[in-house]
Amino acid sequence: MTSPATAGRAAAASARRRRQLLLGRLALAAALLLGWDLLFRYLGPVYMAPPLAVLVRLAELAGNGQLLADLSVTLQACIAGFALGTAGGAALPLLLRLSPRLTRAVEPYVMASMGVPVFTLVPLLILWFGIDLLPKIIITAVMVFYIVFVGTFAGLRAIDGRLVAMARLVGASGTRVAREIYWNGILPYLFASLKLALPRALSATIVAEFLVADAGLGFYIENSRQQADTVGVFAGIVMVVALVLGADALLKLWERRALRWRPVDRQLNPVS
Amino acid sequence: MAEGPGDGAEPPVLEMRDVGRCFASRDTGDAVQWVIRHLSFKVAAGEFVTIIGPSGAGKSTLLNLIAQTDLPSAGEILLRGTCIAAPGRRRLNPGVDRQIGYVTQDDNLLPWRSMLDNVLFPLEVQGRLDEEGRRRAATLVDAVGLTGFERHYPHELSGGMRKRCALIRTLVYDPPIILMDEPFGALDAQTRSQLQADLLRLWSMAGKTILFVTHDVAEAIALADRILILSRSPTAIAADCPVPIPRPRDLQNIYAVDGFAALHDTIRRQIQ
Repeated sequence: MTSPATAGRAAAASARRRRQLLLGRLALAAALLLGWDLLFRYLGPVYMAPPLAVLVRLAELAGNGQLLADLSVTLQACIAGFALGTAGGAALPLLLRLSPRLTRAVEPYVMASMGVPVFTLVPLLILWFGIDLLPKIIITAVMVFYIVFVGTFAGLRAIDGRLVAMARLVGASGTRVAREIYWNGILPYLFASLKLALPRALSATIVAEFLVADAGLGFYIENSRQQADTVGVFAGIVMVVALVLGADALLKLWERRALRWRPVDRQLNPVS
Repeated sequence: MAEGPGDGAEPPVLEMRDVGRCFASRDTGDAVQWVIRHLSFKVAAGEFVTIIGPSGAGKSTLLNLIAQTDLPSAGEILLRGTCIAAPGRRRLNPGVDRQIGYVTQDDNLLPWRSMLDNVLFPLEVQGRLDEEGRRRAATLVDAVGLTGFERHYPHELSGGMRKRCALIRTLVYDPPIILMDEPFGALDAQTRSQLQADLLRLWSMAGKTILFVTHDVAEAIALADRILILSRSPTAIAADCPVPIPRPRDLQNIYAVDGFAALHDTIRRQIQ
């Protein structure tokens, strides 16, 4: 047990560290903005947008409601695709788990289908499903599916058979074992997969919107590009980045709650 | 085969009758290799029996057969006169309907559960998590000196604390027979003798039948009413050796007790 004096010192040290971290991040942000601005001065307005103009554009878009409209279109496709891909990617390994022989039969096909460049399917998807939400959802889902599939599969392999044996011995049913040991065993791997999948899912939605859309962030970026509106392209990119950061923060919050028991997470996040 | 004290009007609580276990041998092609063969012994209710033998003598295999995480290839195992395991049965019943508890070499605590929730796990899966169960758990936590650590996760506990937690996780659901597989093997001498004392105290309070596998001769004598000495592979009972040291025993000074040294020598020679 730590004494109050030691605890006080530790709290003060942690507050100091937090302050230093904040200062460091602000300094980095300033350096990045400066670099951006210098690059703009060097490349000129055709190839580059100045930070201030981008900021003004973002304020405009927020003011006239277009930002919210584009955002909601993109988010709809992205969230639906993300959920679909996650559910499929987590469920398939669990199903395969029921039969090792089926797993061996299916695995090479999953690997082979992973090799298919997803975006080359877009023209076909348009033919099959039109230019609505559906093709975008499918592309996003496919992107997420493989990442979650590989992660969940690894998680299942890493499950400690001795824990399962212990649970059976004290009277746990099959569903109970699945809920207690399989689920909790997979969870860290699932979160790692989701963290990896999140920015890719958004990128997939955006790129799909370049190709098939009449609204959304991807459409806005592509439309700006075609009109040589560099400020618009950069404003779109900034929005996407902000979206990724926001979603990642949400995921982190959820992960910290769900994986409180993990020793590594505490050691890696001494500031929090 | 020596007659155990289980003979009499009441059938022994546990009886091994000419039990054998064989595995397909890699060296001899399709011939089988017997790990355990012609092994018989009886255990009376409330007895503390230690099992000792040369390393590789199939001690863990023997406990797995009794706990029914594995089935015998020959002979039968009887619980209070009723056959619970014989060759040819296909379904395993690990723990024999909660009749047999098993404290394994590794503590197998669930890393995502706090210490107390680990102890409550068997009650939870058996649907017995009521007021009475919680009281039992609290009493046991107190009896092994874990009070104050209820909300700690396994990785925050020392090796000795984890062992205590695993021990009371088995005691909490009150199986009449408890198997222990070198449970204190990896601990330092101090913690070890503390845990031995704890175990003897709990055993004398709860009136359980305990089968305790160890490779430490002093531990085997200090704890037991009777010592079963195993022969080399294929394993059978080489000797059945009563321990005439009165209880309660002072484990700290067990070496000084009359007859300890002679018994220690005899057993030492037998297992060499």
